[in-house]
Amino acid sequence: MNDFLQNNGFLIVTMVQQALLAMSLYYPLMSGQLSLASPGFYALGGYVAAIIGTVEFFAPWRDTLGWVIFPLEWLAAGIISGFLAVLVGIPALRLRGIYLALATIAFVEILRVICLNLEITGGAIGIFGVPQLFESRWSYIWTFGPLLILMLFFSYRLDHSRVGRAFKAIREDELAADAMGINPTRYKVLAFVIGAVLAGVVGAMSAPFLNTWNARQGTFDASIAYLAYVLIGGSRSMWGPLLGGTLLAALPEILRPLKDSRLIINGLVLVFSSIYMPQGIAGALGHLRSFTARTLGFVRSEK
Amino acid sequence: MTTAQFIQNVLNGVSIGSVYAIFALGYTLVFSILGIINFAHGAVFTLGAYFTYTLAVGQFGINGLLSGLNLDLQVPFALSLLIGAVLAGLVGVLLERLAFKPLRTRGADSLLALVSSLGVALVIVNAIQYLVGAEIYTFPSQVYGDIKPAIMFEVSGQPVVVRTVQVIIFAVCMVILTLLGYVISFTRIGKALQAVAENQTTASLLGISVDRIILVTFFMSGFLGGLAGTLVGTSFGIAGPYFGVTYGLKGLAVIVLGGLGSIPGAVLGGIVIGLAEAFVPPDYSAYKEAVAFAFLFIVLLVRPQGLLGRSLSQKV
Repeated sequence: MNDFLQNNGFLIVTMVQQALLAMSLYYPLMSGQLSLASPGFYALGGYVAAIIGTVEFFAPWRDTLGWVIFPLEWLAAGIISGFLAVLVGIPALRLRGIYLALATIAFVEILRVICLNLEITGGAIGIFGVPQLFESRWSYIWTFGPLLILMLFFSYRLDHSRVGRAFKAIREDELAADAMGINPTRYKVLAFVIGAVLAGVVGAMSAPFLNTWNARQGTFDASIAYLAYVLIGGSRSMWGPLLGGTLLAALPEILRPLKDSRLIINGLVLVFSSIYMPQGIAGALGHLRSFTARTLGFVRSEK
Repeated sequence: MTTAQFIQNVLNGVSIGSVYAIFALGYTLVFSILGIINFAHGAVFTLGAYFTYTLAVGQFGINGLLSGLNLDLQVPFALSLLIGAVLAGLVGVLLERLAFKPLRTRGADSLLALVSSLGVALVIVNAIQYLVGAEIYTFPSQVYGDIKPAIMFEVSGQPVVVRTVQVIIFAVCMVILTLLGYVISFTRIGKALQAVAENQTTASLLGISVDRIILVTFFMSGFLGGLAGTLVGTSFGIAGPYFGVTYGLKGLAVIVLGGLGSIPGAVLGGIVIGLAEAFVPPDYSAYKEAVAFAFLFIVLLVRPQGLLGRSLSQKV
């Protein structure tokens, strides 16, 4: 068991981390907004943690606070990401559909180029030697794991709350939601900010985990990867991003025996799963469940 | 800025801008018909460059399955350029049949087209890497024939240097744009294409085969993308299987600036972004990559329909 964790610990933690990033894209989608901004906030959060962890200015803090500095990094990353999300979100969320997606891609790319050129972010080289919270990679499950459980609990509660229902009402019909007295702008910005804060905190947790941080962390490729997690997992329930993120993050590793052709197969999986599982894995499992229940006679057919 | 520098920047900007324009037209054609963004367009751009390289040069490096292969086909460059673009167009057709049509016939969420086209892009890019490795391939300097590498002239006593390649690229782009404009405005197939873009149901009621028009559109889109890839490749070299990604993203900025789905808009957008990049002062050249996205962001906030697009109607 220990050997298994030593060898696969990095992968398992990465799976949890990717599931969290998929969730950060799921919240805006819950209110019908296709935002691809998560990698930008993820990168930003990572830079916040990496800078607090390495820059001379924070040295006395690090010395006196010890490990307490890490939760403070997460907090700082969350607050900064949330603040930026409000600034970007209020103008950007007037856009819909593909226009919003493109605006958020632009946001991620602008942020990336800025980080590539600033001195404080280490330029093209990035920031090395970010202090570690744990000695082994596997131990990072103790930061990402509880966060995932917290977010699942939060999503579950959100689903059944006033805010969650408002999100879904906007997703189904914004105009009707508005007429019902729901302020669409406010809720859309709220969903966007929740996703951004989560991505920022995950970034701040990831910088110590990866030990180094650079501009390659927040790219367009990542935007689309997270979108694939949510759509292939299923965008209609919180289990979708969880399933999509963990499975798709593990896929390149599962395909490793195929060596060089594995990324080709990875692409094919994306194509075929979008064609054959339009509701995502969660949707397909749901169908399967109702199908077996019907055939076994647990419930009467709806038709 | 001196007059000479100004003219230099304009010439550089217009040249690269014209490539952006024909590349972005590939996006816009598909968007105008299907209302979706084809995320594999950047990969088709890359593929076009590799096709032409294979035909015209055909020497491969030390990585990948085809390492050390020397085809030595020596196809004349102009012909290679054309065949490369046609092959890229056929890949476009294949792309539509594999990644878009199955989703359409199932009536799936249009967001899924983003994922499936990205899946195809992954397949293309990694297949290239699998076959010929991730190394840089360059066209020989005399690929356009025995011409001077640069043209020099003087403006108010100061020299202006223009790379000949850029002049040729500009000329090729203008020829293609003229041809495309002719095809779309004056031929039967072009008029059918406009009709389908306007309203698919009405077009099919009028006896236009929508499915065929979609195939033609994807062929033209792939052709333009592949051609742009080769042109950029001759100017800057083919920088590995991923070199289309940056252009793929900039193309998005171009079509939004011009107006999604607008053909003249894509041309104008390409030239504007090419010029804007050329005029970034040398001290800030590191930020050049962000110019297109800054445009994209600002245009979306101020005028989402773009420079030449129709205004977006609100759902009532």
